[in-house]
Amino acid sequence: MAGEAADAVARHKRLARGALVAWAVFIYFFLFAPIILLVLFSFNANQYGTLPITGWTLHWYHAAFNDFQIQDALKTTLSVALEVTIIATVVGTAAAFPLVRANLPFRSGIRAALTLPIMLPGLLIGVSLLTFFTGVLHLTLSNQTVVIGQAVYVTPFVILVVASRLEGFDRSLERAAADLGANSYQRLRHVVLPLIGPAIFAGALFAFTLSLDEFVITLFLIGGGNTLPIYIYTQVKFGITPEVNALATLLIAASLTITAAAFVVPGALRRVRRGRRISARPATGA
Amino acid sequence: MALAPEATAGPVPAATPRRAPLSRRLAPYVGFSPAVVLFGGFFLAPLVLIVLYSFWEVINYNVVHHWTLDNYHYFFSTPTYVSTLWDTVWVAALTTALTLLAAFPLAYWLARYVRPAARRPLLVLIIVPFWTSYLLRVTSWTTILGEKGVLNRFLELIGVIHQPLSFLLYDRPAVILVLIYLYFPFAALTLYASLERFDWMQMRAAMDLGAPPRTAITRILLPQIRPGITVAVIFVFIPVLGEYLTPQLVGGTRGVMIGNLIVNFFQGAEYTRGAAISLLIAAMIVAMLVAFRKQLNMADTHGR
Repeated sequence: MAGEAADAVARHKRLARGALVAWAVFIYFFLFAPIILLVLFSFNANQYGTLPITGWTLHWYHAAFNDFQIQDALKTTLSVALEVTIIATVVGTAAAFPLVRANLPFRSGIRAALTLPIMLPGLLIGVSLLTFFTGVLHLTLSNQTVVIGQAVYVTPFVILVVASRLEGFDRSLERAAADLGANSYQRLRHVVLPLIGPAIFAGALFAFTLSLDEFVITLFLIGGGNTLPIYIYTQVKFGITPEVNALATLLIAASLTITAAAFVVPGALRRVRRGRRISARPATGA
Repeated sequence: MALAPEATAGPVPAATPRRAPLSRRLAPYVGFSPAVVLFGGFFLAPLVLIVLYSFWEVINYNVVHHWTLDNYHYFFSTPTYVSTLWDTVWVAALTTALTLLAAFPLAYWLARYVRPAARRPLLVLIIVPFWTSYLLRVTSWTTILGEKGVLNRFLELIGVIHQPLSFLLYDRPAVILVLIYLYFPFAALTLYASLERFDWMQMRAAMDLGAPPRTAITRILLPQIRPGITVAVIFVFIPVLGEYLTPQLVGGTRGVMIGNLIVNFFQGAEYTRGAAISLLIAAMIVAMLVAFRKQLNMADTHGR
């Protein structure tokens, strides 16, 4: 009797775990199916960009590369992303220092205020800036207005990334450098920046990816030009073409590569530096 | 530069005894100044403008500085707009509930049954879709749900249907499905973070003391992971309230949400009315953030 009950409990447990695993498999399928389909259809000869698969081709990539509208949009996207990255990295890094180190009243309130642009929908940033630019400043919309709008949204991410690294920073290192006679510039250049450099780098890559993909704010603030997401949007309104799938695949590949770099490179840099220090030791000893 | 004369004029301290301390007192905050310019000039000022606009009126396509509550009155006296607002809140609530229900078993499985070494890659896999373009994640669903879409083709191939189903796309269910897809990573990761800290021995202790599994879950597990659940709710509910692209691309005419309404007003040059709705949404979001600030702060300090 008791054995049977124990068996029942064990069977019940196995069933429950099996159900959890099945659910996990389903969820991962759900998460990746749409992305995998985009990639699949970009190589599919079928010109309607759907099933069935009628053959494999690189034709759509060829077409995408030779489309001058896409080339134009790519140029705009990259130049906007570069400017946004520079602004967000400088502004975000500068703000992270006092946020972590200054003797702030209402620190959590200030932190919340600085991250509000992330919490409010991009739509609100877009329409309010659009109203501000056209109604008050009487600016013509251009790539520059997009840069400003994206910078507002992207900078908080850089602040968060750099601030979290600064919080783990051992300030006695700086005090030691000061005791050894380093002035504030030298302390920043030789102690602080090498230690938080990887975080700044990660924040910059983060900013670049976010800018590449940003859609809603850009939609409201763009002038005559097109960024790639906006170009894709104007295309998909009339149905997805395989050419758009090819472009989408390239964009996904770019985002993932950059993001992977943001996570992998800082760690690798640290290892290289540590390796160099270790290999330098016997040399000085000899 | 401004300090240079002061520095050379060292021997006259009596004249500027209070100045130097002030600049020194402000020095630690200098780093904020670019952020103050950026956020003050291009985030706060536009938001203030929206607040003002919402209390002004448009006459002949020009915004006139007449104080009025007409924009709000107009919104609340037009049944379609009010019902769109309620539909949006309802869609956001349903999406949040379904997303959390879908995410909880996965987070539970990861935190309790998966070897620690295998957890990291599985967590990264949850984030990967989040790192692919937002626009593309929405549009890819049109290739799945459309009349010539993958789902219809697949169902035809296996013989379940003979005519493509047209209700899959351009309606509210499609909107909710895509929203779940978009915000699933937020919910799964937040829930995982709080489940990972939970001490499972407590569950065993409760059950050894005679609590049935359901009681152990509701009395021991849920109260301890409640902050994580609250954060997950906020991270899904808030962005869904302001969604524009998803209802625009997969919602059709029946899937309209408040975001689409805002855009329509601004595109139709009815700035003050659009501003009033924007402010309503912003106020709802800020109120939620303030109400749940404790839990958010906790997630902030523990989540690292």
